[in-house]
Amino acid sequence: MFLAWNEIKHAKLRYSLVMGVMFLIAYLVFFLTGLAYGLAQDNRTAIDKWQADTILLSKEANSNLNMSMIARKELDNVDAKNKALLAQTPGVIVDNSSEDNEKIDVSFLGIEADSFLAPKIVEGKMFASNDEVVADSSVKEQYGIKIGDELSLSGNEKKLTVVGFTENAKFSVSPVLYTSINAFQEIRFEKEDTSENARINGIVIRGPLAAYPDDLEKISVGNFINDLPGYSAQVLTFGFMIGFLIVIAAIVIGIFVYVLTMQKQKIFGVMKAQGISSGYIAKSVIVQTFLLAFVGVVIGALTSILTSFLLPAAVPYQNNYLFLIGVSILMLLFAVSGALFSVRTIVKIDPLKAIG
Amino acid sequence: MSAIEFIDVKKQFKDGDTTIEALKTTNFKVEKGEFVAIIGPSGSGKSTFLTLAGGLQSPTEGQVKINGENFSEEKEKTRAKLRFKKIGFILQASNLIPFLSVENQLKLVDKISSKEQHLSKDKLFNQLGVSKLVKKYPEELSGGERQRVAIARALYNDPTIILADEPTASLDSERAFEVVEILAKESKEKNKAIIMVTHDIRLVQYCDRIIEIRDGLMVEKDAEKIKQKYAREEDNEN
Repeated sequence: MFLAWNEIKHAKLRYSLVMGVMFLIAYLVFFLTGLAYGLAQDNRTAIDKWQADTILLSKEANSNLNMSMIARKELDNVDAKNKALLAQTPGVIVDNSSEDNEKIDVSFLGIEADSFLAPKIVEGKMFASNDEVVADSSVKEQYGIKIGDELSLSGNEKKLTVVGFTENAKFSVSPVLYTSINAFQEIRFEKEDTSENARINGIVIRGPLAAYPDDLEKISVGNFINDLPGYSAQVLTFGFMIGFLIVIAAIVIGIFVYVLTMQKQKIFGVMKAQGISSGYIAKSVIVQTFLLAFVGVVIGALTSILTSFLLPAAVPYQNNYLFLIGVSILMLLFAVSGALFSVRTIVKIDPLKAIG
Repeated sequence: MSAIEFIDVKKQFKDGDTTIEALKTTNFKVEKGEFVAIIGPSGSGKSTFLTLAGGLQSPTEGQVKINGENFSEEKEKTRAKLRFKKIGFILQASNLIPFLSVENQLKLVDKISSKEQHLSKDKLFNQLGVSKLVKKYPEELSGGERQRVAIARALYNDPTIILADEPTASLDSERAFEVVEILAKESKEKNKAIIMVTHDIRLVQYCDRIIEIRDGLMVEKDAEKIKQKYAREEDNEN
């Protein structure tokens, strides 16, 4: 620590440059992590809000909610304490109250207002009729939709009035609009169907599930999220990028430390001649690497947190402190392991050469 | 008990097909309180002798003992520890660490062996006339100042043996005499064994013994005679 710190203090420029590189890589890793996490969240926040354990879909749907068709009455054949009907369809809305008639891609979730799927309202109230809708607050921030605004649907005669907002409700990267099951029938099938054969997409269960009909497939919510179209591909792509970046960071700092060690060979040789052990020298090199990486990573993390406040709302960027800490620890571990291959050089330095 | 003892020590190097005898079979002792000068032309084996004495390499044959301990047969780790405690090195180019200030050069010793008692830094710096330089870095010092700090560093853990490899090589005469005077005083006052390899025959007037190495062979010279001879020459010059 003594050697490491005094050297950093003495060669400020050299070590600030190393820290700078470490910072840039760390920032890139954190930024990508934030984007990956934000995008992943945009796929699933509406599902996470359910706090459910299982979803039942029709067998031939291949975990695809949209392709699953179940008759409403099937709910009675499911033996579970907390169960709810779920209907979903993508849609395009136009805000009639605004002048530019911008089209917005959304995802409609048809639910029963008294089921546990009902979202927490942060502004306004829950929908009470088939013409009312509760929207994700992102449409307010991004498109300026307000309570009382009338929305029309592309390719449909139906009109909906926004009566409330909820937070963090996105499904497959689209803002969610919550409607009643009956309104869903009109949106999806363009006619009312209040019969018990009305088609819905799935049944969501919170807690234990005792029994369910044979022609339905039971899928855990975790698997259901992973099977959302594109979700795993996105998460994997980002995951690999982040993983490789961490490894590259380790290699870069490893090379820096190695070059610096080579430059200091003579000094280390003199130290060894004086009887200072290789262990002490190696420890100080590793501590130094840790300090450099630590400062770089901490500044990177702080900058990425700052960035999250500066980015426009349209960028799906979100920091997760657990990931931030996890990635930081990984980067530090890898950076230190990058320094380890300089240790071999230090051990091999012959004090005799320093003197001769 | 001698501070350093060479018992039938021999050192050979392989250079391609030929074997070079850097040091022929040597028996040699230095007692505490003795200041020994090693002289001889370059390539005669002076440095080999010094590195063997400091345990930086092992002899091909024979044993090197310091303070009665069989030094040369220990592992490098043990030798490094002994070196750290018992031997002070003063090298040709100063052996200071470039990124440590003068006072931190000595603090490093504290950090490594915090349990050991060391000399007082202030006293040592005063004695060597560098107390005003404690905050400076080696690059800001003159050659003489650097060498004096290097001596302070070598004396700091109060070693029983000091090995100096041409400690005056980078200094002008005045500074050179000053540095050797400090070493001579140290050997008498603190009862240390000092071995100094030097090119500069004028410096031997401070030494108790003079040993010449020629082609790997050590020959004890008559110190008094050499000293008188050089003293006369200097008088004549004046």
